[in-house]
Formats: sequence, structure tokens, C-alpha cells
Amino acid sequence: MTQSAVTVDRLEKQLGPNKVLRGISFDALSGEIFGLLGPNGAGKTTTLRVICTLLAPDAGSVEVLGFDTRSAPQDVRRRVGVVTAEIGIYPRLTARENITYFAELTGVLDGRVRTQVDAVVDRLDMASFANQRAESLSSGQKQKVAIARAIVHDPPVLMFDEPTSNLDVLASREIREFMVESKGRGKCVIFSTHVLHDAERLCDRVTIIHQGRVVASGTTAEVRGEHQDLEDSFLALVEAAT
Amino acid sequence: MSALAIVFRKELIEIFRDRRTLIAIAFAALATPIVLFVIAEVSTKTAASVYKVGYSGQIPAGLGALFKATGLDLVEVADPSSAARHEVDLGVVFTDKGADEYYDPTRQSAQLADVRFQTILSRYDAAKVAASLQQQGVDPSVLNPLPVSVHPLSSPSQAAGNSFLSFFLPYILITMSLTGGLSAALDTSAGERERKTLESLLLTPAPRFQVLIGKILAVSVISFAAALAAIASMLIALSQIRFGQAGGTLPVHLSAAAAAVMVWLAILLAASFSSLTITLGTLARGFRQGQAYATPLYFITIFPAAIVLFIPDFNPSLAYYLIPILNAVLVLRDAIVRGTVDLLPLAVTSVSLVVTGGVCFFLALKLFTREALLIRS
Repeated sequence: MTQSAVTVDRLEKQLGPNKVLRGISFDALSGEIFGLLGPNGAGKTTTLRVICTLLAPDAGSVEVLGFDTRSAPQDVRRRVGVVTAEIGIYPRLTARENITYFAELTGVLDGRVRTQVDAVVDRLDMASFANQRAESLSSGQKQKVAIARAIVHDPPVLMFDEPTSNLDVLASREIREFMVESKGRGKCVIFSTHVLHDAERLCDRVTIIHQGRVVASGTTAEVRGEHQDLEDSFLALVEAAT
Repeated sequence: MSALAIVFRKELIEIFRDRRTLIAIAFAALATPIVLFVIAEVSTKTAASVYKVGYSGQIPAGLGALFKATGLDLVEVADPSSAARHEVDLGVVFTDKGADEYYDPTRQSAQLADVRFQTILSRYDAAKVAASLQQQGVDPSVLNPLPVSVHPLSSPSQAAGNSFLSFFLPYILITMSLTGGLSAALDTSAGERERKTLESLLLTPAPRFQVLIGKILAVSVISFAAALAAIASMLIALSQIRFGQAGGTLPVHLSAAAAAVMVWLAILLAASFSSLTITLGTLARGFRQGQAYATPLYFITIFPAAIVLFIPDFNPSLAYYLIPILNAVLVLRDAIVRGTVDLLPLAVTSVSLVVTGGVCFFLALKLFTREALLIRS
């Protein structure tokens, strides 16, 4: 049986006056791409932020490979890599220095840092620009640095939050290919998006969130049901829930 | 390697690649010599300036030569009172009974000419009286029944140098401790949020207090370096630049005790200001907002130094040494002027600055670990 990598159980979270999450539950497994779908403001990013310990849950619980986000946040952070749409990297460091910095901070052992960094540079085909300052890189190259930074410590759980929203077609395709490749390596890939076409092509299972609640969950085929595609199904579910 | 050391090293690399910070340090090193050079030029020019005196009437015998020797150029005019408004610096009407002087106090040149004029007249009067007494067989020394011989216990010019240094050095130290690292502090706090790197940083398992200390240490190093660079360049400039018409350098001497106190205070100030500016930067959404938050600090740092300038004999009770920044100014002033260090005020000052830095660090850490930090970004 495939191991549950991330378990979210009746998760609630309020940000300021807004109750963003209202009892979300789902499991994401190792070796699958799990889609977290929903319109803007549904609570996808907040859910991911709770999973990676940036935010604490108000109620409910989140476990990553058996580590509770509240009681063992450091252990969770060591096992998670996050890629977001906002490609924040240090402009005055080179691509390699950016990756090395995060390798060291995520606890890659001193003797292994160079090997690990070289491995991700090679894996993401970054050798041609690895020693250039980040400020001189293109958006696609920067996104590669952001991915490299997120995976340099070889985390078993990878989370992608709208990773292609600021990228061109070619760069977006590389991201999608990377997600598939990571799944093949046995990683648990959580893919948060509102681009349902991407989700339908990539995800093994999906959960649709609307207004902080889960409105559908299952394999992509199950959620699509009798509709022509996931988008039709999504629109019908959201309309019914509103 | 600990997270603290990793962050410290990375921040230093970024700082040294940041043009803004390098410009700030270069400015710190060059600004003071430039200012001192301008002051020296102005003082030399002022001392050598010749002022015009418009006069009418008969100049008393011998007075004309005195005027010329003191840089007052006599020009005959029809109406000295109206000429003194624009054409000349001073107007004088010589009469049988004496002289009427006209000058406009709103003009600096008129003020300076007036001072010279009064000085000449008092000397002239004294010489005339002495000559008159001598003619009548009276010893002119009766005018000075208690002659005083002055014996300064230390060099007056050295005292003047120390007085100058006691104001200028604390001012430079405090200003440069703040401004030298300000850009780096805002870049590492507000800039982290603006560049969207904050979330990735907080996602790492590195303890946040270590991340914060690493940042504060890196900024402190820059602040400290900027302050010392500014002071070193100031001392070199003072030993080279000649002031006034006499053309002598200002004799400044920094005793070993004063130098040690200065370095110690520079370390404390750099650490405190770094904590404070990083706290303000963490509150800000971006670099510019951080700059706006930090602007009032400039005024806070100027006031204590101004106290020493305007109240040179300000000798407060020990309680005053609890006030951050003012205490550093006072301790440094005392060390420069006296050449020795009173340990009690220094201890109180050190505790005060350490506590201030600690409170700022605690605030920064609280902000750094708040969820609101991410939600706001």
C-alpha cells in the first residue's frame, strides 16, 4: 500500500477577520501528483502554508510523514520543498550561491553540499548559468533556481503553488515535466492550481476547495464524473456549493 | 556550520556586492575630510578678508594705518549711513567729538567688520590715553593696577582641539554607526520581503533567532566599519588640514583610553542600531517604507551631539547615562576632554546600550516569528 505522506485532518484557519479554512481534510500519497484545486481565494495557498509550517492551524491537524506541524515543525521543514509563483531569489548571489545557501540552511551535511548542489544543477540543466548573478537571469532560469533551492535537500514532499502562473510556455512545460519526474522518483507532489487543464493532465488525485471547504475529492476521473472535462465538473461543483 | 554563521556569511557577501552600501561606506570615509576642508577654507578666507569702511570727516592721526593693518579698507563716501546699507560693510562719520558708526547686523560681513572696528578703536583709545599720561609725567601702568600673568596648565590650542573633537567625534561615531549599516539593514529585512525571499527563508529548518542574529551581526560589522572609517579619515584630515590665517593644524590627540572607549562604544552602537533598523525594516513592506520608518532616527542621533556643542560644560548626574545615545556622547566627550575614563558612567552606558540592543533584538525576533509577517507580505 502506498504511504500517506501528508495528512490534513479537519484543518481550520482564520486570517484576520476571514475564516479561510473551514475543516479541510485530505491525504496526499508518496509517488503521486495530488492536485489542490479551487478558484482564487479558496484557501489553497493557506493550506500549503499550514502544511509547510509557515502558519499554525487554529484547529485540526497536519502531519507530514508522521511529523505533526505543530509539535515538530523543524522535522517537517526538513522534509518539504516549496515552489511558488513568486520567484524570490537573492539577486546579488549567483544561481549556485542561492542554491548552496538553502542547501546549508536546510541541513545538508557540509561534505555533501557541493555534491547535492551539482546534482540539482545538472538535473535541471542549469550549468550554463549557474555562476551568473541571479539578477541577470531570465524568468525561466530564475524559476529553475527556485526549484533547485526547494529540492536541493532532496525532500520527500514537494509542493508547487501556482508554479507556472508567471512563466512562458516553454518554462511551464519544464515545470510540468519536472513534477512528473519527481513523482517517478517516489516523491509526494502537491500541485496547487486553478489551471484545470494542467491538473487534469498531471494529477492522479485531486481535491477541490471552495470557500475554505472541500467540495470534491478523489481520482481525477472520479471527480470529473460524467462531465466532459475537469473544468465542467469544477464549475458545476462550485456552483452547487455557492 | 551553524545557521547563524551561514546567514552571516551570505549577508556579508550580499552587502559587499551592494552598490548602495559601498557608497554609504565610501561616503562615511570621505564626507568628514571634505567637510573639514571646507571649514578650513572658509575660516582661512574669513580671516584674510578685507572689509570696506565708508567714512566721512577727518580720520584721527594714526588711525588710518591701524585700519589698513587690520584688513579694513577706508573709502571716503558722501553719506556713510546710507553707504553702509549696500556699498560698504561699515559706515563711519568722524566728528570733533568722536565717531558715529553705521552697520547692518543682518549682514555677516558687517558684523565681522564691526568686531574689527571695535577692537581697533579700543587699542587706539588705550594707546592715546597712555601717551597722554606719559606726556604729563604719569606712569601709564596706573591704568592697570592689577596686572595679571596668565599661565595655562595645558596648551590652549590643544584644549581647543579637544573641544572640537569632543563634539565632532561622538557626532561622527553615532551618525555613521546608524547610516553606515542602514542600507544593509533595510535590505536584509524589508528587502527580503520585497524580493519575496522571506517565505523561502522561513521555510528552512534554521532556527529563526539564529537567522536574525546572523543578519544583525553582518549589519553590525558594516556599521562598525563605516564608523571607524569615518573617524580614521577625520583624524587624518585634522592632522593635515590647516585652519585659519596662521595656517596651523588643529592639535587633536586621542588618548589610548579615549580610543578604547570609542571602539567599545562603536561596537555597542553598531549592534544596537543594527537591531533597531532591522526591527524597523521587518515592520516595513518594502525598502522605501523602511527608509521612511528610519528617517526620524537621524534627528534622534543629532540631538545628543548638539547638547555637547551648545552646552559644553553639561555635567549631568549618573541617571543621564541611562539614556541611549546621549550616554555614548557624554562618555566619549569625557574621555576625550579629560583623557581618562570614569568606569561607573561607562558601565551604566554599556548596560543601557546592551539593554537597548537586546530589547530591539527581542522585538525583531517577535516580528520575525509572527504569522502576520507573512500575511502582510
